Order: sequence, then C-alpha cells, then structure tokens
Amino acid sequence: MSRWIGLGALALFSMALGLVLGPTTIGIADVWAALLGRGDETTVAIVRDLRATRTVLAFLVGGGLAVTGAALQALVRNPLADPYLLGLSGGAGLGAVGAISFGLSGVWGVPLAALGGALIAIALVYRLAVVSGSVLDPRVLLLGGVVVGSFAASLMGAIMAVAPAPEIRNALLWLLGSFSGASWTRVWVFTAYAAIPLGIIWVQARPLDLLTLGEEPALVLGADVERLKRTLYFSASLLTAVAVAVSGIIGFVGLVIPHAVRILWGHTHAALLPAAFLLGGSLLVAADALARTLFAPVELPVGVVTALIGVPVFIILVRRWQT
Amino acid sequence: MYRVVLAVLAFAAIACGSRSPSGGELRDHAGHVIALEGPAKRIVSLSPALTELLFTLGVGDRVVGRTRWGQDPEAALAVPSVGDGLNPNIEAVVARHPDLVLFYLSPSNGVAIERLNGLRIATASVRLDGLADLAGAARLIGELVGARGVDSILIAFEAQLNEVTAGNQERPEVLLLAWDNPPIVIGGASFQSEIVERAGGRNVFADEALPSLPVSIETIVAREPDIVLLTGGEEPTFADAPEWQAVRAIRERRFVIVEGTQFAYPSFRAPEAIRELRRALDPHR
Repeated sequence: MSRWIGLGALALFSMALGLVLGPTTIGIADVWAALLGRGDETTVAIVRDLRATRTVLAFLVGGGLAVTGAALQALVRNPLADPYLLGLSGGAGLGAVGAISFGLSGVWGVPLAALGGALIAIALVYRLAVVSGSVLDPRVLLLGGVVVGSFAASLMGAIMAVAPAPEIRNALLWLLGSFSGASWTRVWVFTAYAAIPLGIIWVQARPLDLLTLGEEPALVLGADVERLKRTLYFSASLLTAVAVAVSGIIGFVGLVIPHAVRILWGHTHAALLPAAFLLGGSLLVAADALARTLFAPVELPVGVVTALIGVPVFIILVRRWQT
Repeated sequence: MYRVVLAVLAFAAIACGSRSPSGGELRDHAGHVIALEGPAKRIVSLSPALTELLFTLGVGDRVVGRTRWGQDPEAALAVPSVGDGLNPNIEAVVARHPDLVLFYLSPSNGVAIERLNGLRIATASVRLDGLADLAGAARLIGELVGARGVDSILIAFEAQLNEVTAGNQERPEVLLLAWDNPPIVIGGASFQSEIVERAGGRNVFADEALPSLPVSIETIVAREPDIVLLTGGEEPTFADAPEWQAVRAIRERRFVIVEGTQFAYPSFRAPEAIRELRRALDPHR
C-alpha cells in the first residue's frame, strides 16, 4: 500500500514541478491563482494553456511509453526491448521528415505523417514475423524491427541529402522529442486513443506473467499464447505510434522504467504495469520541466533530459539491487 | 596561464588579418594564404551570398559554378550548380575547372579546402555573416578578381544604408520565428535580426548571442512581441493551433511576411530589404 502512496505522491510532486518550473519565473502562489483563473492574462495563459497542457500530456505519454516497454519486454523476452524497438522510430521519422521536405504543413501534418510512417513500419514488421512461419517469433520480431528501422533510416538520410537543409534540421529537432505542440486538444486526442491499448495491456497482466516464463510453460498453464502475442504487439505498437505523433521520439522512459519498477517491486504485471505508468509519467514530466528551464530560454529536446536524469537513477537502482 | 594563452591566441588572430604586413601575399578570412596568380578567371562560389557579391562586383561572367541555393541575381541561374555549399561535392567543383573556389568561412570546410589545394586549385574562405562583413568581403573578392571601383560601390552602399536606417523612434517588438514545432527563433547574432533593428524594430531575442535557438512558447509569451516576422509563404497554419493562442501577436494575426534572399543573407540589396521592413513595421508603431 505504502508504495502506491509513494508513487502517487511522486506523480503529484512532478506535476507540481511541471507547473511551477518554466523559463519565466512565476511564484507558487501566482501559479495556484492562475490555475484557478485569477491573475493577469499572460500568467493565466502560461500556466493554464502552456504549462498545464504540457504537464498532462508529458505524464500520459511517459506513462504510456513505460507500460509499452514493460509489455514488449515480456513479449520478446528481452530486457533490451523498448517501445521503438520494432522499427517504429524509423517509420515515424521517415514520415515526419518526408512530410516536412515535401512541404506538407499544417498543425497536424507532421504528427499524422509520423503516425502513418509508424503504422507502415508496424505492418511491415508484423508481415515479416508472420510469413517466417511461427507466429510472432520474438527473434524474427526483433530482427524485422531492426531491418525495417534501418531501411527507414536510410530513406530518411536520402531525403535529408536532397531536401532544403534548415527545414530538415528542424524536423530532426522535433523527432528528438518535444512537448511544445501540447494543447488540450492533443491531450484529449491522446487520451481517447491511448485508453484502449492501455486497457487491453492491463487486462493481459496475468497472461503476461505466464509469458515471461516462456511460451511453452505459458501454453501449458492455459494461456492462448498466439492471440496474446498479437494483441500485445498491436496494442504496444499503436500506443507508441500515437506517442510519437504527439511528442516525437522520447527514448529511455520505455526501456528503463519497467526495469526500475521490477527492481523495486518485483515482476508481477498487475503491479508492474500501473507502477510503471505512474513512474514513467513522473519522470517525463520532470524531464520536460527541466528541458524548459535548464538552459532557458533555449529549450532542450526532452529525450536528452530523460536519459540525463534516468541513467544515474538507474545505476543507483542496479547497484542497490546487486547488494 | 589561461590568460596568457588567450592573449597569444588573440594576437595570432590579429596577425592573421587579410593582408600580411609585407603586402605581398593575400590571406583569406581564415588566415590562409590564397595561392592565386593574377586575377581569378574561373570561379566556383560555394555560398549564395558570395555568388551574388561576384555579380554585384561586375564579374558574374567569371562565375563557372554556384550552389543549388545560389539563385540571385537571376543571371546566376545560367551558371551550372555544383550542389551543396557545405560539404561540397569535390568532383563536381573540380569538373568546372576553377582557378578559385570561394567558401563561406566555416570550420566544416577544412577537408574540402585541403583537397582542392592539393589539386592546385586556390581557395578563399570569406566571412559574410552581417552587414559589417560586407565591406571586408567585397574588398577581398575585389582584389582576387582584380575588380576596380569596389570603394565607390561601398561608399554608395554606406550612404544608402544610413539613409534607410531608422532613427530613434518607438520600436515595435518583433518575434523572428523560423519554425513553429518545436519553436525556433532568430537570435541576435544573425543578419535578419540586424536588418530588423535597422528597420526600427526590436528583436525580442536580440539578447541571445546565437543565430537561432529552440525555445518554448512560454518564453515567447513572456517576451510579449507586438509582431511576428516570417520569411516566405502565406499566413501560417500554426496560427490556428490552440497552444499558440497564448501569444497575443499570433492570436491577433499580427504577421509580417517577407520574401526573398535579400532578407536571408547580407548583400548590397540590404537597404532595399530594410526599406521594405520599415514600411511593414510602420503601421505597428
């Protein structure tokens, strides 16, 4: 019980951090007043329309990525699995860079193109993993992901070589992860979309426990392994694809948060998944707050900060776990 | 120790000025001796700004290669393109049989310069980041091509520039927005910022000593720009995005949209660019 209270407190603390920290200095009392709609117009706009939206979106995306990472690590039974493993980042990157270099603009132009690219990558990898005989063999999934990812990256390189340089540099900056496009619309779109795959993964918590034992033991213990793998694969991939669409590619959260939770609280997915959601959300909110503040007014790509915070924390955890 | 090293470096930088004390050899803005005998006859220019400068100095007919971006003046379009200016395709450059290759001054050109010099093709790196560099660039290139009358062009330019430069008046605060997601703004160390200030505007990010920087929308809100300056195109679609409504100038659609390379790099068309900007900024004073 106390762990949930701790996690809840951490989540609240990080959200408070997300609201209070920013390139402009606003006192805590003024932030609170602005949240309630009081105070001068600019402060209210900054707190309610900019900081609050970023904070909520970062929390949801961070939580989603952490859950996806946990599910994929169980699916391919490989501790190195992360949400972008299966060729998704390459596909999304190709979509975004293509959209920008072909002049497809509009608020949703780049995100939708990234989503489209990710979906194509998912379909390709799935197709590869199906034609190879055994359905969704983890080895084939991993290889297929790497191959599709490199193929997309090469195409991206080709487009970058022939397209106008500054636009592409900006596209790459977007790909490194940013919540600058956060708005309540995006929060709602993401929530509505992500709720389904998150729910599906959550329902599979018990079969996921079985799957980590190996496919045969899971079969013997009564899990419908093939269906489970397909469900997980699509839920995880679709969730990641939409995360990329709203915020670019944010590494590290989906890789390390599940491991951190396993070290702290064990391997049962019924506890692992929600804990990973809360911890991943908290980490990403804190990382985004720091990305906005550390070198203000210059904003760092949030993916850079997640690794800067996450790696030291992870090293401490691993050392504690070994002793 | 640190200070001594700095002092030595500073002295070395001064010593590397464009002309050696003896007056014999000519050095470029990177301090390298330019191995050119007589005026250049076949020039490949790897920077759009330098291409335009060659045409302005009246030696456009000697330009045998340009970058694919070097499309001003119109006559330059008749010159074959050799591709990109940074990380140039050496083979494409050499195929134009140049006796001089002009580079934009940048550390990333080192390898290309070494290769060309190895093939006994003279190279010169020219600094041209702001209006203050224009005179130095014009004089250096003037000497390399043996152009006369550079000084009179410069005097006329200076006069024009002073004529169009705005005096002390109410200065609208201008946001120079290069990209919307993530938001990238133009900082003080850029030509665009310079012409906006000369046109009587104030770049809200002028205090940032960078050509451009990624920032959050919050920073933009806090700097309260009156106007948003964009280069190229129509009214941007991001103006409708909810997150941008926090910026008043965007909410109220106070855009100034300019088009053309005279706003992109320093050239003798700068007075024209400043005049156009002044006209655009005037209603907002």
